Amino acid sequence: MASGFISVDDHVQEPPHLWTSRLSKDKWGNRIPHIERTGDVGEHWVANGQVLNGGSVANVGALMADRNELPKFWDEVPEAAYVPERRLQAMDTAGVDYTVLYPTVAGMAGEAFGSFDDPKLEIACVQAYNDWLIEEWAAVSDRFIPQCIVPISSPEATVAEIRRAVAKGHKGVVFPALPMDLAEVPHVAEPIYDPVWAVCEELGVPLCLHAGSSPTLQYERYLDLAPKLATALSTVAKPVASVYVLGLYLFSRILLRHPNLKVVLAESALSWGLLFLEWADHQADHDGLAKEGYDLTPSQMFHRQCYFTSWFDEIAPFADYIHTENILWSSNFPLATSTWPGTQKTIERCVQGLSEQGREQVLWSNAAALYRI
Amino acid sequence: MELKYGLISADSHAAFDRDDFTSRMSTKKWGDKVPQVIEFEKDGELLEGWSLYGTKPGVKKGFQATVCNCPALMGDPFPHWPKRWEEVPKLAYDPAERLKALDIDRVDAEVLFPNPPGGTYYQFGDAEFELETLQAYNDILADWTKISDRYLPLISIPYLQPPKVIAQEIQRSVENGHRGINLAGKTPEGLPHLADPHWYPLWEVCSSLKVPIHFHGSAGIGVGETAKSWDGYTERQAHSASTSTSATTPAHLVPQLIFTGVTERFPDLMIVFAEAGIGGLNYLINSCDHVWESHHLWTEGLHTRPSEIINRQMYVNFWFEEEGIKLRHNIGINNIMWEADFPHVASYYPGSWDSIERVLDGVPEDERRKLLFENAIRVYQIDVDTIAA
Repeated sequence: MASGFISVDDHVQEPPHLWTSRLSKDKWGNRIPHIERTGDVGEHWVANGQVLNGGSVANVGALMADRNELPKFWDEVPEAAYVPERRLQAMDTAGVDYTVLYPTVAGMAGEAFGSFDDPKLEIACVQAYNDWLIEEWAAVSDRFIPQCIVPISSPEATVAEIRRAVAKGHKGVVFPALPMDLAEVPHVAEPIYDPVWAVCEELGVPLCLHAGSSPTLQYERYLDLAPKLATALSTVAKPVASVYVLGLYLFSRILLRHPNLKVVLAESALSWGLLFLEWADHQADHDGLAKEGYDLTPSQMFHRQCYFTSWFDEIAPFADYIHTENILWSSNFPLATSTWPGTQKTIERCVQGLSEQGREQVLWSNAAALYRI
Repeated sequence: MELKYGLISADSHAAFDRDDFTSRMSTKKWGDKVPQVIEFEKDGELLEGWSLYGTKPGVKKGFQATVCNCPALMGDPFPHWPKRWEEVPKLAYDPAERLKALDIDRVDAEVLFPNPPGGTYYQFGDAEFELETLQAYNDILADWTKISDRYLPLISIPYLQPPKVIAQEIQRSVENGHRGINLAGKTPEGLPHLADPHWYPLWEVCSSLKVPIHFHGSAGIGVGETAKSWDGYTERQAHSASTSTSATTPAHLVPQLIFTGVTERFPDLMIVFAEAGIGGLNYLINSCDHVWESHHLWTEGLHTRPSEIINRQMYVNFWFEEEGIKLRHNIGINNIMWEADFPHVASYYPGSWDSIERVLDGVPEDERRKLLFENAIRVYQIDVDTIAA
């Protein structure tokens, strides 16, 4: 590897015709994800009558002259966001050897289509994305590590799409962590989801839970705030959602029942992890969970199966407790919070004090094993 | 003069006597709306509990399920809660008696948060009732300070009043012996957001009186409810799942206060997070600084680096975090206090010192002093001579 860095959380920007060129216009009409223009105000994505991507045409702050600005129209979107060849150049600039890909318009956590009222439209949108990512990105370079998104209308549909997508070359599963917040489906802790966890174990693909999947995990917004400050606030608040998600997956026995399931908490950051894991262990002990058949403490389950993903925290203070085996690194490109193009400089600051082995684990070897690179 | 034990709890809970409210509020005016202990039946058992605003047993809203939250004083099997008033230990609610409990646990002084019937009365939508009940609440705890300066009570505020009236109640209560105010993490529905200028008069009065504001535990913000509360959990699991996620409370609230400019505008406002752990500040220092730098937020009027703001005016409390204490210098050695959580389930009473020795193992003496009492003396303007006397 040229730089020794696998970035495990970056986002592709879906181009305007991804879905309109792959879904039947006769069948779906205007419900297909597409870009609409509002006079001089700008363009935004619409599907099934819903506005996608928070009303932005693209989420590419890191590529803008002013990071707090987003393009208003598609023709202002920098090519490094959506043209694979240009993306490879941007990766070279920041010393990124491989990049693990998450969506943008389909939801930063793959959650956009789950709230559709029509499971057939949902699966059509999901499959179009999954096929496109293999055909237009993975086919261009093996430096792109594709991950599929999934339908959530039923566990059977989720399982079927995971099998189909992994057979096509997808290496990870982007799953909206709390599907019951998106649609009228059972709580994710119910055993009815066991086949989903089991198929990930069977196929050896990680389950990737990206922050931002569910609005109930965020503190209510203060509306009277300048856009720059609102973005800053949500950037800090978003990773905190991972605490609830991890707590649920630990205490509800999903991880106990599926010891070979690997869970990546994408865009989680890691500096809150020490407090949460120490507290979870303390509380499990205090509440006597061992009496209810937990063979492992929460932190033991975490160390066996989970990964935090960060891009800005210093690692060394937390390495003894969280373990470098359980930490992955990203450039978070091309979001405004990304360290690009100075990613290597940030890495140097963050890995200070780690052993050579610890540094390798965080920057590439954990990810190489997880994604079989 | 030195403190007798060298230990101040920045988070304990004052229990209430059954006639505390009926003796202070007009029953002629309010009738059975006055908070009081009443009998009710549940699953064939006769229990006692607090009734608020005339809510009857079985009506969930506003009804406190337990007559006193004091498992630390109830003995084995731990934890259990009193079902009737006669089981409630005087050590919990009688301020003269309770000094004995402080001596048993070798604690010099304690900051007092609520216990049933609680410090929240806006939910009934009756502003006058809320004000009079909270004036009684604040008076009850002000009376504790007449018994002993070892009690450091916190004001509960009448949200439904105009901010000017709330500020007056704060002023009045501080004159009567209160040491800070306790706030809900989320303002009541229909009222402006916590960061809104509507609340500035509160931050002004607290800054000028030098009394800190507090957010306790999950602070009732209700974020992540679908993840925390799954009906497949057993009682133990549900408690673990909801309690440990209190770790997120500062992470939700601190960025709200920093990025909306509240802390920039009120640099002298002290903000304390109780029962939320200390390790959360690690994340806030890292993430807020990262965002401030990458988004050039000084161009938006936020001139101070977030970690400086945190260091200048935020405080967190520890009780069990051995790993967290190892990172005390990342968090800020002057920003951490100890808490007992007496007499709640998390309390180590009567063995607080055993847990302290375990958690602070290897911490040098000068730093121990800061964590155990010096920081609290500074934050709460404690006159050591009056406590030690």
